[in-house]
Amino acid sequence: MTFADWLNSARIGFPLLNDKNSRPTSSADDEYNCIAWAAEDTEHWWWPDPQEQEYWPKMVPRAETIDAFVQAYRLLGYSHATDVSVEPGKQKIAIFANERGTPTHASRQLPGGWWTSKLGGQIDIEHELSAVEGPTYGKVTIVLARISNSE
Amino acid sequence: MSSTDPLRRVPTRSNLPFALVGNLLLAVSSVGASHQSIQLQQELVNLHSYYAFPASSIRDRRRERFGRLACRWREDTQWLSSATEIAVHPAYQAIIGMGPEALPLILEDLRHNSGHWYWALKAISNEDPVPPRDRGAIKRMKAAWLRWGEQKGIVVT
Repeated sequence: MTFADWLNSARIGFPLLNDKNSRPTSSADDEYNCIAWAAEDTEHWWWPDPQEQEYWPKMVPRAETIDAFVQAYRLLGYSHATDVSVEPGKQKIAIFANERGTPTHASRQLPGGWWTSKLGGQIDIEHELSAVEGPTYGKVTIVLARISNSE
Repeated sequence: MSSTDPLRRVPTRSNLPFALVGNLLLAVSSVGASHQSIQLQQELVNLHSYYAFPASSIRDRRRERFGRLACRWREDTQWLSSATEIAVHPAYQAIIGMGPEALPLILEDLRHNSGHWYWALKAISNEDPVPPRDRGAIKRMKAAWLRWGEQKGIVVT
């Protein structure tokens, strides 16, 4: 499947996504999800599911709330950021939530200003932040930042 | 074939019970829609199917239904990270509703296609072979459940 075909199949869930504001960076893989990918973990599926099937840091409440997600990333050194701009020496994560305020997705900022996302059990993409907003993930609700490990 | 033919007098999967169950279904339908009557109707429908179709046909229909539901579930949840949203999808819940008969189909699908079948497996079997340290480690979860299936004789290596 070409990226154009893939975009076509994803159009309903991601109406803003196109080949100008995104590019694929991996094949499909259901061994990790966006929350893990934002935390740079490709070995686990992170989610605070009440049935306790997925990985979630032990110190953090298993609750599908923004606060619980912030607490999870806080363990990795992240704290609240004021905006999504590129700040030299800082790495940022954006957490998306639906209209009910339930977290749905996380993206990690790349040095050039685009963001990297794992789309569920599907592919990884690099994209403009707002390109994945829409009916599937809702909108960016909170931005976190930490001192970058790579600089 | 005469009326004295032994084959006519022996109840088989496809004659006497078929008519009996059909009549019972009609009778129960006229009683009303209480919880008990709906449950009884469902059991009679299952009984009716049991006698009306050969076992291989029932297995094929079950497999076909599972395949249809699994396909819809995958299509609708492929973009989701939320394990909860993935598991509460109506098609996934319908597969859980198939009960123990779904276990070999789920394990076969897990072996070939992977997927988040873990809630369904746990819900149906009331067991969980995945140690707490392996939560979310998909490769190890998959291996643990397939091993469980082999030990229970549900899947064959």
